Amino acid sequence: MSAYEAQSSSEHLLEVKNLTTRFYTEDGVVYAVNGISYTMDEGDTLGVVGESGCGKSVHALSMMRLIPIPPGKIEAGEVLLRGRDLLKLSEEEMRHVRGAQLAMIFQDPMTSLNPVLTVGFQIMEALKLHQGMSDHEARARATELLEMVGIPEASLRLDDYPHQFSGGMRQRAMIAMGLSCNPMILIADEPTTALDVTIQAQIMDLVKRLRDKLGMAIIWITHDLGVVAGLAQRVNVMYAGSLIETGPVKEIYGNPHHPYTAGLLGSLPRPDDPPGTKLFSIKGEPPDLLGLPKGCPFAPRCTYAVERCFHEAPTLEPTEPGHLVACWEKERVEKIQ
Amino acid sequence: MVNYVIRRLLLVPLILFGVTVLIFGMLQFLTPVERSALYVRDIPKNERALEGVIKQYGLDQPIPVQYWKWLVGTRDPHTGEIRGGILRGDFGYSRTASEPVADLIKRRFPATLELALWAVLPVVSGGVILGVIAAVNHNKPIDHIARIFAIVGWSFPDFVFGLLVLMFFYADLKWLPPGRVSDWANQVIMSPEFHNYTKLITLDALLNLRLDIFWDAVRHLILPVVTLSYLWWALQMRVTRSSMLETLRQDYITTARSKGLAEKVVIMRHALPNALMPVVTLGGSTVVGLLGGVVIVETVFDYHGMGLAFAAAAVQLDVITVLAFTLLNSLIMVVAYVIVDVLYAYIDPRVRLD
Repeated sequence: MSAYEAQSSSEHLLEVKNLTTRFYTEDGVVYAVNGISYTMDEGDTLGVVGESGCGKSVHALSMMRLIPIPPGKIEAGEVLLRGRDLLKLSEEEMRHVRGAQLAMIFQDPMTSLNPVLTVGFQIMEALKLHQGMSDHEARARATELLEMVGIPEASLRLDDYPHQFSGGMRQRAMIAMGLSCNPMILIADEPTTALDVTIQAQIMDLVKRLRDKLGMAIIWITHDLGVVAGLAQRVNVMYAGSLIETGPVKEIYGNPHHPYTAGLLGSLPRPDDPPGTKLFSIKGEPPDLLGLPKGCPFAPRCTYAVERCFHEAPTLEPTEPGHLVACWEKERVEKIQ
Repeated sequence: MVNYVIRRLLLVPLILFGVTVLIFGMLQFLTPVERSALYVRDIPKNERALEGVIKQYGLDQPIPVQYWKWLVGTRDPHTGEIRGGILRGDFGYSRTASEPVADLIKRRFPATLELALWAVLPVVSGGVILGVIAAVNHNKPIDHIARIFAIVGWSFPDFVFGLLVLMFFYADLKWLPPGRVSDWANQVIMSPEFHNYTKLITLDALLNLRLDIFWDAVRHLILPVVTLSYLWWALQMRVTRSSMLETLRQDYITTARSKGLAEKVVIMRHALPNALMPVVTLGGSTVVGLLGGVVIVETVFDYHGMGLAFAAAAVQLDVITVLAFTLLNSLIMVVAYVIVDVLYAYIDPRVRLD
């Protein structure tokens, strides 16, 4: 490998190549993530959108190597973090990546904190593990972190248990925990879904503020298109375990090329719609990941589908710079849109 | 936490009051003649004399008055001596053991305590520890083996299991003897050189530095302990295993792993305390179950403890002894459940607050 190649492979912060995860269950093989590839650079915020069960979370857990094995199995692919393939690391090496370089926060703050350990202990744990801090140092840093995420009287609240925190405060504590070791990438798996709308807005503001201050990259997984619009620079749209469209957020929202993305955006209610306007919905159900149809997974629900879509799976092709779509009929979709 | 413990402890006398009322209520099903056995060793054949005893101890008086006297005892008008009174530790005279029940308990209790304490060992190691190991190795060979052992233990009645191991290891193989100690060891224990600090033979033997006696006592304990504990470690293992499996599926376990903690830390620090709640609950029932189990196990293995005395008393309708043992068992149970409650609060901070 030449010096140039070595550099080029490590030029992105994160490079996911052909990530493929399956679950071998008693009912059959679940094709959860089917060969997705994308890249991210320092300080990027990537939104990952799609319906429930489209593989958004499994793709994130696969990168963290946290899917249960068995029944799960990462079949193929590479996850290059600064050029280092996480999927090839030993479990021991991977442990030093988790929490330190790649941190994750989860959907439901009510269940993702351990009820029998204090919030402070749970934050300090990672600090002591990855940064070798003493109890005293870790405590001081944990206080700082809780203050940073806006929890008043932080030094006192460290000794509280999760049930003494409200939902919003727990998610703040989770964010503090995720950011404790200054990770390169924070993966947020629907972190606002379980919260009230007002609290959602507060958490979003907090994350934006922290991103600008700390400069970490964020992968924000959500099914809420509005959230992504306000936060991300790039969007990955996933459907049935595949990445079907990716591009800058303005491109995706203003100029969607995939019928599914267009359908998703079309199903958002608009403030200027007259009262009584029926909401648009995409017909049909997302496919059962147990037995994926041949060809494009969206074809059975797609109004643009042609013969070819049912036989041959489309690959991601660029339409504009940085905007890639997996659709055979993308030109036609674009025209009609 | 301290408040919580104090509140639980305050409940103890109340519960025990309820228990004494119940037991006293049961006593009232007996005729005054039968109840007079609480106070006299030999029931006089002469009916007149009997009437005198009944009068003397007020067995024909209103029930609340009798209850009070049952608790604190009655003064003999002639000698001035106070007799009876369970609060004074006088439970009456055991017909079957031919001694006061209090003496019987004092003599027999250490043997049963020793048996029960040793039975805790397999319940904790075989039950809780194996349960955790089985859950962590879900569907692997060790899990299957543990489950098979648990199902066997769970479905075998202890008297059948006890008789089988007795036939096999005592009668056929002559490996392990019944009883509490061998005769030679008993002579040593009775001798003045041997100090009975605790009356628990295994512990005393160690304190006296007599490993031969310790080993002899252990050999006698193996079969009864295995029989007594099998059902309970099997149950504990099933409960621990399923509780642990359930806990390992929780979101906060994924959170713990996502922090980069070692799997050992995730299991011991994050999963185990949460998984222990049902295990502790069953711990209370285990104490109760072991108390019931000793009656059968001591009978099968001719182990001279409380259970054997209880069985003898029950067979011969020695109501006084049976009631005293019932009261003692209730006391142990109440204490066991208080310990369970305190353990809950220790493990789960959410319990401490309400």
